[in-house]
Amino acid sequence: MLAILKHRPSSRLWFSLLGIGMIVGAIGVVNVLLKGHGHVYNVSREIPWGILISTYVFLVVSSTGLCLISSLGHVFGIEKFEFFGKRAILLAILTLLCGFGTIAMELNHPLRMALYAVISPNFTSAIWWMGTLYGLYLVLLCGEFYFLMKGMHKGAFTMGMLGFIAAVSAHSNLGAVFGLLEARPYWYGPFLPLYFILSALVSGGAIISLLVYFHHKESGELMPQRYGEFMDTLGRLQALFLMILIFFVIWKIIPGLYGRPPEKYEATMAVLFGPLAFNFWFFEVLIGMLIPVTLLLNRRTRTPLGVMYAGLLSTFGIFFMRYDLVVAGQLVSMREGAADLVGGLLHYAPSLTEVAIVVGAISLCLFLYTLAEHLLPLREEEH
Amino acid sequence: MKNKRLAIVLDTRRCIDCKACTVACKAENRVPLGRNNYRNWVDEEALRGAYPNLGQSFTPSQCQHCANPPCAHVCPTHATEVNPDGIVHVVDKKCIGCKYCQTACPYNARYYNEEIGAVDKCTFCAHRVYEGRLPACVETCPTKVRVFGDINDPNSEVSRLLAKYPSRVLKPAQGTKPHLFYLI
Ligand code: SF4
Ligand code: SF4
Repeated sequence: MLAILKHRPSSRLWFSLLGIGMIVGAIGVVNVLLKGHGHVYNVSREIPWGILISTYVFLVVSSTGLCLISSLGHVFGIEKFEFFGKRAILLAILTLLCGFGTIAMELNHPLRMALYAVISPNFTSAIWWMGTLYGLYLVLLCGEFYFLMKGMHKGAFTMGMLGFIAAVSAHSNLGAVFGLLEARPYWYGPFLPLYFILSALVSGGAIISLLVYFHHKESGELMPQRYGEFMDTLGRLQALFLMILIFFVIWKIIPGLYGRPPEKYEATMAVLFGPLAFNFWFFEVLIGMLIPVTLLLNRRTRTPLGVMYAGLLSTFGIFFMRYDLVVAGQLVSMREGAADLVGGLLHYAPSLTEVAIVVGAISLCLFLYTLAEHLLPLREEEH
Repeated sequence: MKNKRLAIVLDTRRCIDCKACTVACKAENRVPLGRNNYRNWVDEEALRGAYPNLGQSFTPSQCQHCANPPCAHVCPTHATEVNPDGIVHVVDKKCIGCKYCQTACPYNARYYNEEIGAVDKCTFCAHRVYEGRLPACVETCPTKVRVFGDINDPNSEVSRLLAKYPSRVLKPAQGTKPHLFYLI
């Protein structure tokens, strides 16, 4: 660790930033432990799920996406996609763990969960399945990583295949956690399980473009042609995923407006023109989808740098996409005569402590990854 | 309490919005202070008519003790349970605080109680009912809006009221089969 810091001023800056982020997160955690959820979180009776849940979704989607895209390489045999397998799986493990950490801070009794999920399981609960499937997925990812590190291709293939199936099941089930709630028309229906899988591909592609780019930037060498070609392919693929995502977003909106379905309409309007409108139009649409797709479709900007920028912007956009989805579903009051509505809607904005924990979780994830990058032999074997 | 199906019938025309039910409930069930914390409430409907001929109705409500309760379907650890007599309650020590039940309940009947460390809600005052007493809100209501009893017993007051007057339930389209009946 010390050696890393001595040699590279840029890594010194990077580690200090992450260090500050982690301290901020730790302060948030201590604050909750001392004062209790009710005093430091802004979630309420009416809006019980806030930014910690959406960040959890963001992190585990990233994990799923990394797993899906990397399986294009060592499971589906697309050779171009093989070289970053170890890194992608490692980061998939870390994003998943940090996601678990984030949701553990939202649950009031994470430890009880471990006990009663086993001795008193409710199979009709999508949250029970969420815990079980993600647990299984984590085990498979670890197995896959182990085999990749040992260079055991057959084992890596088997684990990768199983991991792929677990990733799809776990992640579509995460969509179902929301999609099965008939009380929440904005979420209800089969749309979310499907949409979650697709948007995982966008997340995965985006993060992999960052991984590959920064890995090479940091090595200080010129980017080999092979990587350049890979970034080009990834860029095209990412453009395709983004266009499908845009299609999904449009078809999320239309049924929310057409015929003004009760509650779904109000939630959709909250996203389009209400309290979430800036997040939606600026972060989700412009930053997350339109600029990246423009960068990626244009051959002149589809350079490694351009693909990296597109990935960075989409990653930001997707963070807001998760937040808006989670919050919008709860903005419509379940009670007609409810008090203190703002413009007919309930209100939520994350508290400082909630934001601190989010910053901490993401910093921790990046910190562990960068550390592993320095300590583990992740360099691909040359074929 | 086998073969029973407990329910509350409300005659909202008698409700004067005094909130005695909410206060009695808070005291009886040690509901903590704080704007999020209550097991029952009184909603105010919009004003009717034009000045000086105005009218307003109030809808007192609480957990509906649904026969098809989404809160129980979604609870990962069976912390939310349904008794044979229809009372839906939470086993405190099994609750992991995921708040899934809060997002699943179409009536916003639940809140997180930091003091007991679990999600809390109306239990029809099960502790009183199983001793043969009435729920606190029913006992306290000065205008007798609320009638509590077993709808499986044809001679109970709730059954007689439901036979005599038309009634409605809240959000029937949700398919939750609520057991709070509002006379119309
Ligand atoms: S009203 Fe809500 S909390 Fe009560 S049983 Fe129905 S779904 Fe559950
Ligand atoms: S908050 Fe408690 S009672 Fe509600 S679903 Fe979660 S574990 Fe069950």
